[in-house]
Amino acid sequence: MDQSTPLAAGPLEERPVIGFRHVDLVYDDQVALKDVTFTVANGEFLCLTGPSGAGKSSILRLIAMDALPSRGEVIVRGMLASRMNRRKVPRLRREIGFVFQDFRLLDDRSVEDNVAFAQLVVGVRSAQIKRNVMRVLTQVGLWGKRHRLPRQLSGGEQQRVAIARAMVNSPKILLADEPTGNLDPVTAQEIIDLLFRINDAGTCVVFSTHDHGIVHVFGERVMIVQDGRLVSDEKRRTQVDRSANLADHMYRGQSAPKEFQHA
Amino acid sequence: MLERTRTAYLLRESFAGFHRRKLTTGVTILIMGASLLVLAVLTLVTLNLGHALETARAGIDMRVFLRDDLAPARLAELQPRLVVIPGVARTSFISPEMALRELELNLGADADLLEMVGENPLPPSYHLTLTAEARNLEAVRGIRDELAVWPEVAEIIFHQDWIDALETWTVRFRLASLVVGLVVFVAAVFVISNTVKLTMAASARVIQIQKLVGATNAFIRTPYLMEGALQGLLAGSLAMGSLLGAGFLLGDRLGGIVFFAPGQIVGFVAFCVLLGLIGSWSAMRKYLTMQSDL
Repeated sequence: MDQSTPLAAGPLEERPVIGFRHVDLVYDDQVALKDVTFTVANGEFLCLTGPSGAGKSSILRLIAMDALPSRGEVIVRGMLASRMNRRKVPRLRREIGFVFQDFRLLDDRSVEDNVAFAQLVVGVRSAQIKRNVMRVLTQVGLWGKRHRLPRQLSGGEQQRVAIARAMVNSPKILLADEPTGNLDPVTAQEIIDLLFRINDAGTCVVFSTHDHGIVHVFGERVMIVQDGRLVSDEKRRTQVDRSANLADHMYRGQSAPKEFQHA
Repeated sequence: MLERTRTAYLLRESFAGFHRRKLTTGVTILIMGASLLVLAVLTLVTLNLGHALETARAGIDMRVFLRDDLAPARLAELQPRLVVIPGVARTSFISPEMALRELELNLGADADLLEMVGENPLPPSYHLTLTAEARNLEAVRGIRDELAVWPEVAEIIFHQDWIDALETWTVRFRLASLVVGLVVFVAAVFVISNTVKLTMAASARVIQIQKLVGATNAFIRTPYLMEGALQGLLAGSLAMGSLLGAGFLLGDRLGGIVFFAPGQIVGFVAFCVLLGLIGSWSAMRKYLTMQSDL
């Protein structure tokens, strides 16, 4: 890895969208991350993997400024975590979308209200909210089910609502924490395909998973985290292979690569 | 139905706690209302006692006895000099004859005793009425010290013990009111704070999502502050309404009690709203960090 990459210099669009330099994260004397250094470029699709408890979620928390590094530098969209005014955190989070394994939808609100919620809290005008909600729900194929409650949807549909909510504010970064963990393989592939399309449109995607099959088939740039350390960071294939890989995976099912078999 | 505006959302959320936890909110308003009723009664007693003390203070005056060998012209000259002394509102001259008549009236059936005295022994004097600001021990002593050096003055009388006692009781009662008021204040803040904490705990998921999508703390706080303020408003209105109702029912049996003026009623309810806001604010401290617990 090029450790001399300028994290906070030059025009914003040319800088790495995410930068970690010698980052440690310690919670109550427990070391969650140790000397982690990497950068993510604009529009990149990063697959973050490793066993449970390895530190994947800690990396996502640091990117979201939900935790501050105990040592080292974290820069997201040109903002240095350690020097950032905490009042600016909400503004940064509007440029980040989040998708979780458990969807985290509001159970008592309809699909469209769940998506609109993300716009409402940041003060978008109502007419604009309606247009944006229609756009993203159409993209994820749920406009026809906009009046339903989350419990009236399948797991895959709920995850698509969560993705629509994450995308409605047009974020520059999408953080997906085990988004396929609760889904069957076919639905998981649909979700990953959706994430690919989002990435194709220019959004940087950080996809965290411990599912070896998904990493093997879809991972373009794969970072492996183990015991809080970054043990591998490699680019495996290019975007043009995506469709072929997706079709191949849907046909053959999942298989685990050797490097994960001990995990 | 898609929520139209941010304001509509905030208003809806402000009432959501009432709707979702009717019993808890109802009990909170009742407990807080009862505490505030105690505070309102105490304030009313303080108000009436203050009124009584003020009436009593109006009786604080001073009698300046003059040498009995002064010529009438010299006695008249003193009046303009007395009136300009700071703290003196009015003066009235009491001649020896007037003083004798006053004494006769005071003695009543025993007035015959005065015949044994023969010649009128009473000196001329001035009765000084003091301004409201001068009706305290320090000011009265100041006026006394100023007059004591006048060669025309023989003796000055004022009721020092009575003024002392009045001041002591005023201070004691104000202190007692302050202590009880503080206890009620803390209790009301505690009750509201806990109710809002329950609301926030029940809304933890919504708050988490709000933080994730970039809501500011101000946006997250607003509905909870409004909920606390609304609870304060209802509890304050309940307390004041109960007191007004009791006043209406008891009517004349309360004698000449002084009741709250409209401005004071509004002030009391506004204070209750402030209590509600403080209660909510203290409940939210935990949630005011930017952590979303991903």
